[in-house]
Amino acid sequence: MHPRTARTLRSAAATATAAALMLTAACSSSSSSSAKAADPNKAVTITVWTGQDVAPEKLLEGLAKQFHDAHPNVTVDISPGAPTTDQLLPKLTAAFTSGTYPDISYNFGSWATQMQVSGRTLDITDKVKDPSVQWAEFPPAARQTATPNGHVIGFPAVVDNLALMYNKKLFQAAGLAEPTNTWTWDDFRAAAKKLTDPAKNVYGTAYSVSGTEDTTWHFWPLLWQKGGSVLNSGNTKAAFDSDAGVAALTFLRQMAVDDKSVYLSQDDQKYADLFKSGLIGMIMSGPWQLSDNVAANLDYGVTYLPSFDGTNHQTISGPDIWTLYDHHDSDRAYWSYQFAQWLTSQQTDPKFNLATGNLPLRSSEASSTEFQDYAKQYPGAQTLFDNLKNATTARPTVPGYVGLSQAVGQAIAKVLQGQGDPKAALQDAAKAADVALAQAD
Amino acid sequence: MKHGILISDHEKAGGGGARRRTANTNANSEVAATRSTPAAALADANGTAPAPGGPKWTARRRRVVANLTGWSFAAPATLIILGLTLFPAAWAFLISREHWNGIAPARQIGWDNYRLMAQDPDFRSAVNHTVLFTVLYVPVVLVLGMFLAIALNRKIRFIAFYRTALFVPLVVSAAATGILANFVFDQQFGLANNLLRVLHLPRQGFLADRHEVMWVIALIYLWTDLAFSVIVYLAALQDIPTDCLEAARIDGANRWQQFRHVILPSLAPVTVFVGVWETISVLQIFELILTTTHGGPLGASQTIVYFIYNQAFNLSRYGYGSAAAYTLFGATLIITLGLFAYARRSKIEAF
Repeated sequence: MHPRTARTLRSAAATATAAALMLTAACSSSSSSSAKAADPNKAVTITVWTGQDVAPEKLLEGLAKQFHDAHPNVTVDISPGAPTTDQLLPKLTAAFTSGTYPDISYNFGSWATQMQVSGRTLDITDKVKDPSVQWAEFPPAARQTATPNGHVIGFPAVVDNLALMYNKKLFQAAGLAEPTNTWTWDDFRAAAKKLTDPAKNVYGTAYSVSGTEDTTWHFWPLLWQKGGSVLNSGNTKAAFDSDAGVAALTFLRQMAVDDKSVYLSQDDQKYADLFKSGLIGMIMSGPWQLSDNVAANLDYGVTYLPSFDGTNHQTISGPDIWTLYDHHDSDRAYWSYQFAQWLTSQQTDPKFNLATGNLPLRSSEASSTEFQDYAKQYPGAQTLFDNLKNATTARPTVPGYVGLSQAVGQAIAKVLQGQGDPKAALQDAAKAADVALAQAD
Repeated sequence: MKHGILISDHEKAGGGGARRRTANTNANSEVAATRSTPAAALADANGTAPAPGGPKWTARRRRVVANLTGWSFAAPATLIILGLTLFPAAWAFLISREHWNGIAPARQIGWDNYRLMAQDPDFRSAVNHTVLFTVLYVPVVLVLGMFLAIALNRKIRFIAFYRTALFVPLVVSAAATGILANFVFDQQFGLANNLLRVLHLPRQGFLADRHEVMWVIALIYLWTDLAFSVIVYLAALQDIPTDCLEAARIDGANRWQQFRHVILPSLAPVTVFVGVWETISVLQIFELILTTTHGGPLGASQTIVYFIYNQAFNLSRYGYGSAAAYTLFGATLIITLGLFAYARRSKIEAF
């Protein structure tokens, strides 16, 4: 930046927001990644990639502007970065090669370890220990995801979990009692069978057989409830082909192949659309589905996932994070941290996550008026929020998870479409997954 | 055949011209040689170097200036080709010998990616799908394209409308076609199954059935792509001189004989061209797969390019993906050269 512009900005900053700056400076007295101490008055531009759709992107741009107004020496250059969140990964990859990566980027949780291993992320492990951050207010799965290999590389961005959503009208029409938070998977199976009506193209439930992570992650809660785990204790080998995994997949296979009560969706979007249109009785879905349901005027309800043993209603959470990147510039590092912390703070987060229909990031937001409005606007939001406590196990974030996920997804897709038996399919997938884990891709 | 005669005449003229040009160049260089020799002899005799500005110096300067002028025209395009085509291609080759996920440092692994690929059942099935698709599709598009072109090459009412109607799908983007096809061939709610129900025929899986999916995709691709071969054939048909056909008619050839002995031979070069073109584009079929099935169900519609895309961009296996891409490039090159050689040997002027 031109020195003169910088000076002008600096003086403006000094007069307008001296108080705010002192506050934030006090919050982050711990050392940054570079040896040189940050100068919080210097003019700085930080780049943020959000990977968001139009509406949430607008909200974030508005928040970035608020941040700039409060700290006029900080310009937040905020953009989606890529047309879809998926596309951020190749984009970041290319940016690492050319050295044009952003200061902050939205990341799927599954990329976290990869990012940390790249050595381009900031390590804010010590900073988030500051009591003012209230790190413990984030759900445990989200904190674990933001902490690959024991290093905190960013802040949780969006938290979610899987719950059971059902169509009230279809349950009434079939004369069935609605699902409850204490349902078992046997109740689920019986209801799905009764709801299915091939003549009307109505299905009891749905499962994606696209073979992507969508196929895979809906399976993990069942595996965990049966007592299985995705990886061995050292995170080096696949362990999902255990008896627990076989039992969980056998259960799904019975529903899909024997009962034919499962709509097998060839892509990850269609079954949600059909649920919205009232053709599917129950789906395992999360907070992102709420606004669609409401927009479609669907009369729906939400409960915890059913359990196998009557007590364990364990679910999965797929938290996404704001990852902070290291540019060996203490000023940029300082303001990246400040911005991410501010964005995910108790005061700011409702303006993003609750406004877009996501769950609140922090437990303390439950008492906010925004949350009350949100829960009223979206039936079931409260259940989804409470369901966070059932997300006790984090989805693995090891490098190689992407390959593992595809192997498992394809195995599940195969079995549910009546090809091959659960045990053999999971064993084959485990072999492929071990290769992916060993090669870390 | 007048058409053929014309071409060979032109070729002869061209060949002659070229020969004449070479002769001229030789003459020029001889002149230059003779001109420079006395100068050199003179220099030797006097024991001094030729004065600057002498004939030799001017000739060199003129050549340099000519070179510079030429390159100033050619350089921008050359830079674009080097920067956007050759450099990435060379880089991709280097990547194909690495294990690289794009983020962690790359590891040199020699030819391991290629070796791994030879044993990868997924890659083999992608190759099988693609080859089968090509072998089935290209002849169909050639025959059907020629048939439709002949049908459209006559003076009937609304001919312009028919031609336009046929051409429209070619203009539709592959993404739009894919989305449209999803609606038509949906297993539960699609138009195609509704039609079958009205006709009291059993419901089909279409894109959701492993055994039907490649056929359905071929059908969709044919819908979008047929117009291209029709247009090329139509142009070729209108290029056949009418006096040839007239002569054949006067000689008593019936319609079939006219087609077999006049039209078909005239279309041979175009057939080779369309064949090569379609083969290359079908070997690289991708967008339609991406927008309809994502290679599913159960990988039954995974083609080579979709396999490459999945490896490189979904699984971040850039090295492996590049290796597969290079294999496809090599195979396409060999097939194309083979067709060229065939065309040359059978004296078909396709390119």
